[in-house]
Parts: sequence; structure tokens; C-alpha cells
Amino acid sequence: MKEALSNQLKQNPAMPMLAVLMILFSTLSPYFFDAINMESIAANNAVILIAAVGMTLVFLTGGIDLSIATVISVSAVMAGVIMGHTDNVLLGVLTAVSVGAAFGLLNGFLIGFLGLSPFITTMGTQLIARGIAFSVSEGIAVQGTPEPVIDFGFALVMGIPKITLVSFAVLLIVGFLVALTSWGRYIILLGSNPLAARYCGLNTRWLELSVYLASGILGGIAGFISIANLGNALPGVGDTLLLIIIGAVVLGGTSMNGGEGSLTKTLFGVAVLAVLTNGLNLLGIPFYDQLMIQGALIFIGYSIAMRLNQAKR
Amino acid sequence: MNDANPVLSVDKLHKAFNGKTVVSGLTFDLYPGEILALVGENGAGKSTSKNMLCGLLAPTGGEILIEQQKVAEVDGALHGISAVHQELSLFKSLTVAQNLCINDLPGSNLNIDWSKAEKIARKELDFLGVAIDPQALVGDLGAGKQQIVEIAKALLHANKVLILDEPTTSLTKPEREKLFAVMQKLKARGVAMIFISHFMDEVYQMADKYLVLRDGQQVAAGELAKTPRSELEALMVGREMTQSQIELAPPQNQVSLAVRQLTSCHFNQISLNLKKGEIIGIGGLMGAGRTELAEAISGLRPAQGEIYIGGKFIKRPSLATMLKHKLCYVTEDRRGLGLFPQRSVKENMTAANLSNFVQPLFRGIGFKNEQAAAQQVVDKMNVVLPDINSAVSHLSGGNQQKVLLGRWLACQPEILILDEPTKGVDIGAKLDIHKKIAALAASGVAVLLVSSDLQELLDLSHRIIVMRTGEQVAEFNRDAFDPTKIIAAAASSAYAKETS
Repeated sequence: MKEALSNQLKQNPAMPMLAVLMILFSTLSPYFFDAINMESIAANNAVILIAAVGMTLVFLTGGIDLSIATVISVSAVMAGVIMGHTDNVLLGVLTAVSVGAAFGLLNGFLIGFLGLSPFITTMGTQLIARGIAFSVSEGIAVQGTPEPVIDFGFALVMGIPKITLVSFAVLLIVGFLVALTSWGRYIILLGSNPLAARYCGLNTRWLELSVYLASGILGGIAGFISIANLGNALPGVGDTLLLIIIGAVVLGGTSMNGGEGSLTKTLFGVAVLAVLTNGLNLLGIPFYDQLMIQGALIFIGYSIAMRLNQAKR
Repeated sequence: MNDANPVLSVDKLHKAFNGKTVVSGLTFDLYPGEILALVGENGAGKSTSKNMLCGLLAPTGGEILIEQQKVAEVDGALHGISAVHQELSLFKSLTVAQNLCINDLPGSNLNIDWSKAEKIARKELDFLGVAIDPQALVGDLGAGKQQIVEIAKALLHANKVLILDEPTTSLTKPEREKLFAVMQKLKARGVAMIFISHFMDEVYQMADKYLVLRDGQQVAAGELAKTPRSELEALMVGREMTQSQIELAPPQNQVSLAVRQLTSCHFNQISLNLKKGEIIGIGGLMGAGRTELAEAISGLRPAQGEIYIGGKFIKRPSLATMLKHKLCYVTEDRRGLGLFPQRSVKENMTAANLSNFVQPLFRGIGFKNEQAAAQQVVDKMNVVLPDINSAVSHLSGGNQQKVLLGRWLACQPEILILDEPTKGVDIGAKLDIHKKIAALAASGVAVLLVSSDLQELLDLSHRIIVMRTGEQVAEFNRDAFDPTKIIAAAASSAYAKETS
């Protein structure tokens, strides 16, 4: 029992951090454990969690997807525009997912088949996505979000926001794919040693493409969810999220070098940053001071995770 | 010239890493203008000796005297000893002059005198009698000229003793002649040289004295003029052919793998017939093109020529096609190309045949029997490990090798290409692996065994094919194995095709 717990702690270094933060904030603020506060934490982090799932997949292969945040923006804007014209929710979902998929395919082709560096490639697509989002929306929130989408953003099932349930469903499905399919196994092997993967006869190009495609699609889903969450498609919705997404994945303990990590870790990583932001807000700490604390926590958490990993060896 | 004092004397030089002796008993005197050939098989300790002599490694025992002054360890620049290493250490994007002067640039730090550097370079290159433009980029020069720039750079800082490590392996014939002319010129000027080479012709052409290393021991030294070539070759091999402890079953008649005129930039017109149950050993020195051949046959490298499996012509060989035809390749580079270090033993075992465990019922979700199958391979291969789910990087080299081998055996190959299957493996694991290979062959698997370990080839092969600089130069049947002849075939001049 004790061993199982210590094993869990080593696997998920963000778990004790989450516990400490929750105890801390619940003693400092009477509102922290309030149902409304919990709902708002969950709802406001659905987008981040979905995108972080995509980023985790890319990290597992040893790559990085810098475009995911602005892909959220551009898919939200495109879906918003389509829904504004047609009032058709399904069409909006399809648009968001296809826009995300298109960016994912572009990244995947450039990285997997042309062998470009993931960092540079996704930096480029990040700018393209951002440019499209702002030029299509002319820099302002897209009007005309259908009522059902706005209602969906506020709806609760047994006290849990529906959009949070969507993000959990995404986490669960992708988690299953990673843990229980050969695709999942292969992307981890690819991240662990790409040359050995090639010498095992794996089709490394398609594997790489598939991961960026998945990340793009998840960005698209996150984009649609952002409309439900905020009530409007905002062209800048993803701009500030990139570092939070990367920070959450790394804090969870997934290695940026590939071959090591899991979606459970990412869930805890997202939760730590979510609780931290919320708690600091409750305590009335100014935004810029929050940034300093978040920044410090990322490297403190990361160094603890690294120590634990080394101890495991 | 032997009336002078030796420029470098070495007495019982010894080097151990973590208590494990890698070189011992190195003893010689080197006089100005002399060329000493340092010879031995792959892994005999030549590189370690070189590194001690040029100051890259500190010896753990013995004495070094430089011009009769005892020193604890060599300081290349101070003592006038420099080495030209096998891997060139030039900056390809800089000019020849910049490369030559890089260790000691003229002028001040903020204002380097490039014209002076060019003058120094020109003087040095003229001295060597070669026409190389000091302004040319090193990356634009051929391998031979780069080699000479490297020598010029070495001589600029240390001009008493020059160590040349396999200087001819990457050179064409005219380049090699040019290099030898430069060496002769240096010799005439009294520079002593230590010449490390695999090629016996070159040794006899250039050197005055020899020193044979075998398994880290200095086993012989003397004058080349008084030592016939066959004796030197026998000294390098050193061992009588010991009776193999492994029984080989006779091969079957059916040809599993046929290779016809396979050619690429690393090897030329290789043809062979591998029968079911047969083990063919591929011998040769490093850089002979053996790994490249093995990778080409496995579909990992492009090559011209024809490959047949079971009589069927393989149109476009790729690793995936070859795998479908039950041909598996076990790489020599376990860490770089073989294993997934952070992943578990289980995942490493099943990486190549994971599809066998995918459950059809739930649309590919979940792996059936994976754990049990991996455990079975672990038991069969005799892998010693704490837990099948622990990371493969925790295992010892020998056990890692067994995991790698186990991965491919689990694919049930009919043709197995093994590249250095026991490199860096302890003796016990080695014997285990040897027995496994013999048993596989007995069960009808055709095996192509690339190895630099001569004893391994002798023990395990039905036939041995020797390659040298990409050419197939000799073939021996098991009843006619002769280690000395095999070494001679592998280590003759890079260009002469005929041997012994």
C-alpha cells in the first residue's frame, strides 16, 4: 500500500503539488471549495486540457507543436463565422475540426515527410494561423454564436460543466488510444529512439504525421469549446495559452525529449496550474505577481519531477 | 641514424579503466627519422596506446622518456608529439590557413593577423611539398588533401614525433602515394613517426620497426626487415585455431537468400548464396563495408544488384518488405539503433511484432498475451532481469543484447542477419548467444554473421567470406579455416586484389 502510493508519487510528481495547493488555498480562502468556484475552474480549463492532450502526444514523439494555441484561435474564428452565417452548430463543429486537421496535416507533412524541425515548422504555422484568425475576424470577436452553443457552455451535468465532460472524454479516448493500441505504443517508441523505430520497420513518417494531425484536430475541438466557454469566437483566444499548455504538460512529468509520459500526468499538470491561478485570484493577488509565481512553480515542479525520475533509475 | 638518442622511449606502459587493463607492457624506443608500425587486430589496444602517447590519456603505469627526460604524461605541444586521428579534427567551414593556425592565431585576440596566418600556412604546405591553396575551404578539399592539412596542422605545433592513425583508410590510390611521399620527406628531415595501420603492404612499404599488440598486450616487437610477413600476421592472430565448443549441423540444400552483384558506394559486386541452416561469416576490418552490406540486404540502404529470397526476386527491398519475407536484421549499434532505452524490457521485446498481439475482437484495442510472450522470450534467451516491466537501460550490456536478439527471434525469422552480435558482451552471455545462433541454424534458419571477432567467425560459420574495402576478396570453407590466411586476406593492401 505504502509502496503503491510512493510509486504513484514518483509517476505523478504533480499530484502532491496539487494536494498541497488545494489544502493551502482552502485554508486561506473560504470560497475555494465552493461549488461555483470548482465549476469555474473546471469550465475555464476545458480548452487547456484538450490542447494539452494534443501537446502530450507530440511530446511523446519528441517533437513540439507551437501552433496548437493559435490553431485554437483560427478554428474558433472560422467556426464562429460559419455558424454566424448558417446558424448550424454541426457545421460549426465540422469547420473547427477540419481547420485544425488542415493545420495538423500541414505540420505533419512538413515534419514527417520533408524532415523539417518541429520547432521551426510549428512556429511558422503558428504565425499563419494567428494571421488568418485576425484577418478573417478583423480583430474583433465574431458575432452571432447560436443559442445552443452558448447554452452548452453553461450547462451542467450532476454539477459538472458539459464542456469539462467533453474535455474528460477527449482525455479518456486519447488515453485509451495511447495505452492500448499499437499506434500509441509506436509513437512512444518513436519518441524513445527514432532510429531504432526505423530499424524495427515502423513507418516513422506516417507516425509523425498522425501525431501532428491528432494535435491539430484536438486544437480544433478546443477552439470550438472555447466558443461555448466564452460565448464568442475570439481571434486572440489561444494567444496566451501556449506557455500554459506546455507548462502543464511538462509539470505533469511528460518528457520533452520523447518516449516518456502519459495523459494522466498531463491531467495533473493542468490541474495544478488551474488551481494555482484560481487560488491566487481568490486571494486577490495581482495578475503580474501571479505570473511570477506560476513561472517559479514551473521550474520548481519540473526539477522535482526530474529528481524523482533520476531516483527511479 | 641509430647513434642518436631516442626521441621517445616507453617502458612497460600500462593503462586500466576502472581496474580493467586495456593496454599493458608497451615498450619501445623511437629514434629520430624512424617509422614504427603499430599493428594488431580490431580492439587490440592500438587506439588506447595512441591516446597515451599523444597525451589524451594518462597512463596508469610504466615510464615515458622524452629525449631521455622522464615525464609523468605526455603534453603534446610541449614535448613535440602530435597525432593525426582517424576522425579528422578539421573545421570544414574554415579555410586551410584558418584551420592550420587555429590553435595559435597570430596577432591579438581582437585583431587577428590573417595574412600572417596565410603566410604560415603557405610555408608549412610548401615544406610538405603539396599544392594546396591556403585560402580554400577545408570542406571543399578531397579526403587526401584534408589528411595532409591535418598532418601540416599537427607538425606546426609538434615536430618531433608524429602519430598517424589509419591515415590511408579513406584515401584513393594516388592520394595514398602522395601521403607516403610526404611521410618520406618528413622521415628524411628526422621526424619520427608511429604508423598505425591494418594494411600489411603499407606497413612493409613505410615502416622500419614493428610492434604487435594483441588483446591489450605487447606480444612482439622488432625490425621489419628481419621479420617475414607471414610471421607478423601469425603474431597478430596469435592463437592456434582452438577446437570449437559448438557443434554445427550441416546446412540444407535449399538456398534461402541469394545476392547477386550487389553494389553501392560502400561495397562492390557482392554475390553470395546462403542456404537454409547455413551460417556464413563475413570477416574483414572496420570500414570494409560489412555493416553497409548487411544493411543493404536488409533493405535499409539503397544498392544496385539483385536480392532473391527463396528464389523469389525482391523488387524494391525495404525493411518492411524484408520483414514480410521473414528476414530480420540485428544491428551492431545496440544503443543507437536497437533499443528504446527508457522503455520496458517487454516493450522492447515486442516492438517488431506487436501486431501479433493486437486483439481483433475490440478493433485493435489492447494487446493479448504480450506479457506472457515477452516472458517466454526472456526465459528462452536466459535474460537476467529484475522485472519484465523495468526499463531496458537498467540491464547489463549482455542482457541488453539478448533482449535485442530476442526481439527479432520472436519474429520467427527464416533469414537472420547478425551484425556483431556479441559486441561489448561478457563471456558468459557470449557463449549463450553463440549456442542460440547454432541452435537456430540447426532448426533451418539461414544466418549471415558479420563479426570482427575472428574466433567467433571460426566457431560459428560454415563458410567465411572476407571483405576488404568493399570487395569480396576471399572465401573459406569450414574444413579449410586458417586464421592467418583470413587475417592476411582482410589486411592486405587496400588495393591489391590478390592475397597470400
